[in-house]
Amino acid sequence: MAFVNFLVYLAIMMGIYGILSLSLNLQYGFTGLANFGQVGFFCLGAYITTIITLTFGLPFILGLIISMVVAGLFGYVIAIPTADLKEDYWAIVTLASAEIVRMFFLNEDWVVGGGVYRGGAFGVGGIPQPLKSYFSAQSYPFFYFMIVLICLIATYLIINKLTRSPYGIVLKSIREGEDRLAQAMGKDVKRFRLKTMAVGGMFGGLAGCLWAHYYGFISPRQFLPLETFIVWAMVIVGGKGNNKGAILGAVIIIIFYHSTRYLKDYIPVEEVTLASLRMVAIGILIVLVMLFMKEGIIKEKKPVY
Amino acid sequence: MSIAKGPVAPGNAGSPACSRQENGTGRRQIMLKVVDLYKSFGGIQALAGVSFTVEKQSITGLIGPNGSGKSTCFNVISGFYSKDGGEVYFEGQKIGNLKPFEIARGGIGRTFQIAEAPEKMTVVENLLLAPKDQTGEKIFNVFFKGTKIKQETGEFLKKIDEVLNLVQLNHLRNEYAGNLSGGQRKLLSLARILLFDPDLILLDEPTAGVNPTLINDLVEAIQRLRDERGKTILLVEHNMRVISRICDKVIVLDSGIKIAEGTPKEIQNNEKVLEAYLSGSSKKQLFHEDTGS
Ligand SMILES: Nc1ncnc2c1ncn2[C@@H]1O[C@H](COP(=O)(O)OP(=O)(O)OP(=O)(O)O)[C@@H](O)[C@H]1O
Ligand SMILES: [Mg+2]
Repeated sequence: MAFVNFLVYLAIMMGIYGILSLSLNLQYGFTGLANFGQVGFFCLGAYITTIITLTFGLPFILGLIISMVVAGLFGYVIAIPTADLKEDYWAIVTLASAEIVRMFFLNEDWVVGGGVYRGGAFGVGGIPQPLKSYFSAQSYPFFYFMIVLICLIATYLIINKLTRSPYGIVLKSIREGEDRLAQAMGKDVKRFRLKTMAVGGMFGGLAGCLWAHYYGFISPRQFLPLETFIVWAMVIVGGKGNNKGAILGAVIIIIFYHSTRYLKDYIPVEEVTLASLRMVAIGILIVLVMLFMKEGIIKEKKPVY
Repeated sequence: MSIAKGPVAPGNAGSPACSRQENGTGRRQIMLKVVDLYKSFGGIQALAGVSFTVEKQSITGLIGPNGSGKSTCFNVISGFYSKDGGEVYFEGQKIGNLKPFEIARGGIGRTFQIAEAPEKMTVVENLLLAPKDQTGEKIFNVFFKGTKIKQETGEFLKKIDEVLNLVQLNHLRNEYAGNLSGGQRKLLSLARILLFDPDLILLDEPTAGVNPTLINDLVEAIQRLRDERGKTILLVEHNMRVISRICDKVIVLDSGIKIAEGTPKEIQNNEKVLEAYLSGSSKKQLFHEDTGS
């Protein structure tokens, strides 16, 4: 049974990270926006839903909607100063904004009230799980997995629809043309970038919300820049510019990440060493993919007209 | 008036407001007016006080030796470079401080000398990008106006077929633009601008690297744009045969200064122009070979 529980846990992680990966894929894979602060949206979503459901005692669905809206707005706002700049600046600004979000919740412990701990570095516990009382402890994860799966499918359908629309063609031209082409065709490149950061941010927030209600406990330590790196690995390994690839990447990296857990049964390493070995393993995987499958496991799809 | 935000030029003498009326020679109205344009890059004075006008429904050639400032002029007019001094009027409105996309939406389309060819976008995708104000460019519409978008795309695809036949790229319609040759990229950018359908078209060396038979087709197509569809064209071109065949007027730049202006015939016999092109012996030879007259 323990193994089944572990599998459900893995599936939930794949779903949540799949959403993060789809969101980054929209920004980076399709639009070329180097968002190095994906974890910022994740963190924001987790905290906002906690405030809504725990501090204010409002229902999960409101937490979900509001965390998406706030994370989306956040994406829009951080893109304003950078929208006209080159990729390197994007990387720096987004990286910094994610850290700002994390630092904010680390230091401002008054923001989140209620629960087991009171915010700050201690984290917040006792985040309610939706419809928990209707299920046994054993069966609840299966139910939660269904929620995550529905969210993942919805995210996939929405982002896929966007990237295949005329809107998506403009995004691609921004990615490819260093602005010139899209501008010459009368497209307000800055607006497209802002909107794309907002849409991506929304889904980053959704993932954070799902994460918070699954664990029931969040702390700033869960939202280190390393998480962003993991999501990037998913997009690159799975195939940037391909939404199925983004999900596949999440599946692969999650398996990779968690299978190292069993490594200690085979090779004599300590837990701590193992944690860092995970990152090394993911690093090696990225290098291998870059060497042998430059465009990732599933290539960007060429639309045929 | 199509440009949204441009302030209207003052109606004093010499301003476009006054040049919109027919002038003494009974010629067409002025569409683009460039006044005393300056632009430098560090120590290089790329434009040193260039002024000229482009008349409606005409083809105006902009020629000059390499590095004389032609492309810079295009970049300033289309808003991609900020100007150091001077002003640009389009249909009587100042456009000198507008952003490139605003100028494009206002009715000035351009191609680039080094043709843009997005690596990972197919030829058709490139062309689907071109039409202005598409319903499907708005996120809301993508989800709630699906049928309208479908119908629009259908119409665009029909036009795309026509244009692709013109530039003879139909066989490559689903090829990535990154895989096209240099000349094919030029043709693609011409096709794109045709679909974008601006009132004033700035073409930066549209025939460079294109094979001679196809050049003829393109030249005819450009002529038809003027004659049948009332478009105005400003054309940078090194091919003198093309220039003398289709231009109503030619402007000659050298080192950022306008050194001559006139009909293709007048230009060909202008000493200054010959001087600029060939400082030395075989002056006339080049021109006369090229014009094929
Ligand atoms: N972005 C830039 N940065 C620095 N210098 C530039 C830039 N663009 C143009 N120049 C300089 O300005 C001058 C004019 O260049 P421009 O491209 O306008 O010439 P051109 O007339 O189009 O020449 P060609 O016929 O070779 O295309 C050149 O000396 C060039 O080096
Ligand atoms: Mg040039």
